[in-house]
Amino acid sequence: MQIHNYEKMWLVAALVLIVAIIATITYGTVGLGIAMVDDTEDTVDPGALEEEDGFDDPGVTQVGENEYDVHVIAYQFGYDPGDEVNGEIQIPEDSEVNFYVTSRDVIHSFSLVGTNVNTMVVPGEVAAITAEFDEPERYGIICNEYCGPQHHDMEGIVAVVPEEDFHLFTLEDVEAPDEVELGDDATFDVTVSSDHYDERTTTATFEAENETTGEEVEVEEELTFDGHDTAETTFTVDTDDFGTGDFDWTVTVEDEIESGSVAVLEELEEDE
Amino acid sequence: MSTFVDDFPAEAKVVRSSMYNAFVALAIGALMGILQTLYRTDVFHFISAEQYYTVLTAHGVFMVISFTIWFLVGVFAWAVISSLDRGVEDLRFTWAWFGFMTVGTLLAAIAIFGGFMSDPPEVLGSELSADVLFTFYAPLEAHPFFYIGLVLFVVGTWLAGADWFRSYLAWRSENPGERIPLPTFMVLTTMIMWYIATLGVATSILVFLLPWSLGLVDTVNPTLTRTLFWFFGHPVVYFWLMPAYLLWYTLLPKLAGGRLFSDPLARVVFVLFLLLSTPVGIHHQYLDPGIAEGFKFIAMTNTMFLLLPSLLTAFTVVASIEHGARQRGGEGRLGWLKALPWKDPVFTGMIFAGLMFAAGGFSGMVNAGMNINYLVHNTLWVPGHFHLTVGTAVALTFMAASYWFIPQLTGKQLVGRSIALVQVVLWFVGMVFMTNAMHRTGMLGVPRRTAEPWYDGFEYAGNVAEHNFQIALGGTILTLSILLFFVVILLTLLRGSKGGVEGSSIPEPLSGPDHSPAVIDNLKLWAGIAIVLVIMAYTLPLASIVERGGLFGPDGMRSFPSGNPGFLEYTSLFVQMVIQNATEVIFR
Repeated sequence: MQIHNYEKMWLVAALVLIVAIIATITYGTVGLGIAMVDDTEDTVDPGALEEEDGFDDPGVTQVGENEYDVHVIAYQFGYDPGDEVNGEIQIPEDSEVNFYVTSRDVIHSFSLVGTNVNTMVVPGEVAAITAEFDEPERYGIICNEYCGPQHHDMEGIVAVVPEEDFHLFTLEDVEAPDEVELGDDATFDVTVSSDHYDERTTTATFEAENETTGEEVEVEEELTFDGHDTAETTFTVDTDDFGTGDFDWTVTVEDEIESGSVAVLEELEEDE
Repeated sequence: MSTFVDDFPAEAKVVRSSMYNAFVALAIGALMGILQTLYRTDVFHFISAEQYYTVLTAHGVFMVISFTIWFLVGVFAWAVISSLDRGVEDLRFTWAWFGFMTVGTLLAAIAIFGGFMSDPPEVLGSELSADVLFTFYAPLEAHPFFYIGLVLFVVGTWLAGADWFRSYLAWRSENPGERIPLPTFMVLTTMIMWYIATLGVATSILVFLLPWSLGLVDTVNPTLTRTLFWFFGHPVVYFWLMPAYLLWYTLLPKLAGGRLFSDPLARVVFVLFLLLSTPVGIHHQYLDPGIAEGFKFIAMTNTMFLLLPSLLTAFTVVASIEHGARQRGGEGRLGWLKALPWKDPVFTGMIFAGLMFAAGGFSGMVNAGMNINYLVHNTLWVPGHFHLTVGTAVALTFMAASYWFIPQLTGKQLVGRSIALVQVVLWFVGMVFMTNAMHRTGMLGVPRRTAEPWYDGFEYAGNVAEHNFQIALGGTILTLSILLFFVVILLTLLRGSKGGVEGSSIPEPLSGPDHSPAVIDNLKLWAGIAIVLVIMAYTLPLASIVERGGLFGPDGMRSFPSGNPGFLEYTSLFVQMVIQNATEVIFR
């Protein structure tokens, strides 16, 4: 085969360029530790995510001193958690975060705008991606794969917050009566969970006030948790002190608040 | 010196008709293009956000399936017939593949445009709509017509390839031992690549998506159908590109006043595309969960070696043009550039197309880099890239070539040569504005395929508004360019005077086919190696995908038929909004 000398030089230069590009990409991937989204996660059933580990209760959990797992379910047209309905994803500064994202319907993406946290989200598969967050910052999550007529409305937030503003306590439930008979105690059963990996304490604060009589009460209770634990406590209001009429109550744990009101009656009507 | 239509009047009619079909698709695609450009840059909303996706599906399918491939079959038919210097074996067979492709196009068009109707009728048990975009990723589901249309269209191209192989075999029996003429060699290698590549999409549609859309099976494995799509989806970009390459290798040196520099290298380039185009599709799936990193790495290295034939092409084409310029009296290290026929829209259009392809090649290398790809995947960077490649290298070459083909196919002289020159320059300018801004907004994270890429929760870290202005400006210039293209074509068809068109013969290369070993022409050998490479690249990934997700996907996978609020609802909402705003203004 007859090849012109210039052609030969060009051919060699082209091959050198190609090999050099492959070398830089290999170094830029393996050397810098940029792991590909791959097949290391087990498959899930997109129709029964409530039975899948992590996706039964999606959200942030702490797994190490500065390490957090975040399970997210993408759906038409939002993220649970992350979007407005399910609340933004909060993580602390200086943390390493493992995102596990799946879809319960069609193919989406989970993409933090302006970063290389960007992955396809395929129903049946779990996309795992690890990123480090140094500074407090708010990142937009968007879906960059067309997923249906409201695709452009699909957005969420990953908020990296200062260490001191960050906690993983959730005020799960407050069991409170709607009405009580004068003289009886009104009891409030409070359930709080911790998604921290180690032993932690927090404070639950109970406040109640009868606006008509001006009576009020404020009680604080310290709660102690093991790693990934739930704690319960009960607050009591003696209705003799409060008198009849409605009183308002709130339970506060960190920045989580539940509130309601209780009617204190002379005599409870029997449901006969 | 006779034109193609003088030599082969019946065949010229098929080639002409194929190109007219391409032009119709181009017109529809361009209209959809400007509608979405103005929408997503927030300049003007002629459509609703939901209809944006119908428009986007139509833009993609009409531009990169209909326009490109209709033009391709025209170019390929011309190339085979003229370089073998023999008419087709059976004209009825030729019109048969033309018919398959036409019916396929119409069915897919009906399904897509059903998306514009306020209350699409039910046909075959599901609503007529196909807002699934060019990639039709399951479990988003289109109407069966969409899938059937694509299948018929692809079958039409298979039959077209059979037509050309038939011509070749007939020629071969009369010319044993002769080298295959270069244009025919290019067509045949490209068609072998196409047969291999389309097996992916044919399997995806016939085995999985069509039965699923007809309700015969309940579920699909989305990773499997997606992988089969990209099995076809990357080689298809070379399918679009190969007719442009064919024209750069044959027509362009002639127009420059010279001859092709090297026939052997041209053959090597087309063999390399045949071998390497298909085992790379997984590079579109770098971000897919469920596919091992190793498979992605193999696709990456194969992709990088695909640079080789394009780099070789850059050399040969530039060398051929320089030779032509020197034949025309050009001198000096770069001074020869001045001797080129810059006033010829065919030449200038193709040169600009080639220049933009170089830029597109560079952004393509970024896409193919499996680590950097995380920054740009599915951002506006990607459409920026392929508007340089298919949108300019291919489309502008085809438009410029039309100014040469239409006279060859009708015997009429081109009317409006200077308008044609303005047209190709405008396309270049429009694409410079549009694609540059698309790449840059992509780096800010602005997503592609999104009607309203503005959000409540955050702001982009850059001046998106200014880039949007450039995108809208570029899109407007491109629309103007398309209008001028149709002005020239229609003027030529209606007003062109018969006769005086230069002959269609292509000059002999400087270095002829006898400078390459005969094994280069062994099509069976290359086809065999190509198949082995595909088997090596795809067997393990496909086996792993089926093992993970099941052949037909998990039971919990549901279907999501596409569809959106119809045109009438939208219009009435729009009118209500206008009245409401007007009353507020009046009574304020």
